[in-house]
Amino acid sequence: MHISDGILPVSITVAGFAIAAAATALTIRNVDPEEIPKISVITSAFFVASLVHFPVGPSSVHLILNGLAGIVLGKRAFAAILLGIVLQAYLFGHGGLSVIGVNTVMMGTGALCAYAIWLTRRRVKLPEHLSFGGRQFRIPSRDVLFGAIAGAVGIFVSGIILSLALISTGEAFFTNAKLILGIHIPLMLIEGAVSGACVGFLMRVKPSVLCDYQPGDGLVPSKH
Amino acid sequence: MGLDIDRYATIKSPIQEWDARYKIAGITTWSLMISSIQTLPMAMFALLAAASLLAVARLPLDFIWKGTRWVLFFLLPFLVIMPLSYPNGTELHFLGIPFAPAGFRLALLVVIKAVAIVMSAYGIFATCRFDVAMIALQHLKCPRVLVQMLIFTYRYIFVFVGELERRETAMKARGFVATTDAATLRILGNFVGTLLVRSFERTERIYKAMLSKGYQGEYHTMTEFRATTGDPTKLALAVAATLVLFLLDHYAGFAQAELGWY
Repeated sequence: MHISDGILPVSITVAGFAIAAAATALTIRNVDPEEIPKISVITSAFFVASLVHFPVGPSSVHLILNGLAGIVLGKRAFAAILLGIVLQAYLFGHGGLSVIGVNTVMMGTGALCAYAIWLTRRRVKLPEHLSFGGRQFRIPSRDVLFGAIAGAVGIFVSGIILSLALISTGEAFFTNAKLILGIHIPLMLIEGAVSGACVGFLMRVKPSVLCDYQPGDGLVPSKH
Repeated sequence: MGLDIDRYATIKSPIQEWDARYKIAGITTWSLMISSIQTLPMAMFALLAAASLLAVARLPLDFIWKGTRWVLFFLLPFLVIMPLSYPNGTELHFLGIPFAPAGFRLALLVVIKAVAIVMSAYGIFATCRFDVAMIALQHLKCPRVLVQMLIFTYRYIFVFVGELERRETAMKARGFVATTDAATLRILGNFVGTLLVRSFERTERIYKAMLSKGYQGEYHTMTEFRATTGDPTKLALAVAATLVLFLLDHYAGFAQAELGWY
């Protein structure tokens, strides 16, 4: 979810631009020329994927996928998010011109947190089955679970930053901040499920798409 | 899908003919000033000025409406939530619910400012070819790496939109109907995965194609900028309008937004 123009005071929009510029410079430092088309093409794939809608009752929500971007691009995801935010504002007038910095910090921090969670997965060993009440339940693989958690955390962190930006703006925006944070809870579940499913697909088909790939990673396709 | 925002960039008007570097500098400064406005009359002034800019650029009304309607759609709930949740001044009642006029005024201010900024931004995006605007950004000291990535990303959005449409058709042909359930979430996850796999496999071919055309990390373009005397004059007008907006907003004695900003 983005914040629109016209809400935040100048101090916060300027701080947003400053933090976004610094974080982009840090995360894009020493980028290889070979990485430039890779980051750009994958960013455009994410941009288009975010146009996909998931039906929710009579309405629908569009996917954000900042957590998944963190899992695929690693720290370069912050720059990819900046590109996506600029192009959304440019092509659709969605988001806002004066709040490009704040929106980038919001979504980009979520992507980086998702990346950090993804990196910790190798320390965890999960059983294949879980026994409960005398029955055995097959649980998703570690990578799928961490993909889902990273996807959900990406949205959660973005929601927290958005709410903080509204709260720091003024008392009049407190209720809006609470409502927006509340809306992020079902969004987290949706994004977590889609990210987990996507990671499961990639681990079976092409695990090298995901960052922190090591030879031997990947899931054996199930036999049906 | 309306991705060709610059379809009216070839119209003959003072805005389209304004050098892109001066245009971006002038209109961006104006838009950032709009975001700092705290009085309703100045927000209305900014909205009228933005509308005048687009009228001079001869942009069609339906095109402008398509660009601004999403901002209105997302911000209209503010007009309901803020008057009902405003911390002070709830002396009025609407259908028995305490209603704060100051909250409604603040929400109206936010909505008008947002629409004014989007309309002003159209003065850049819709009146200038995308690649020209990007090279102008580079001339305005935007990092070359980011400009390159923006241009490449824009280029491949069209490729993946075509991919998305073909895959949606293929899914429908196989009987897929999106519903609010776990199966749809799994299918959408796989769908995103196929887009990512195809994009990933494409990047290596793209890089080799670029190398074969002499790419060495720099993006070369035939776009040249030649400013005329009218270009800095228009920039000066934009800056003057920005200053007038600032001075009237702060010193003309209009009521400032309360409790909206610290």
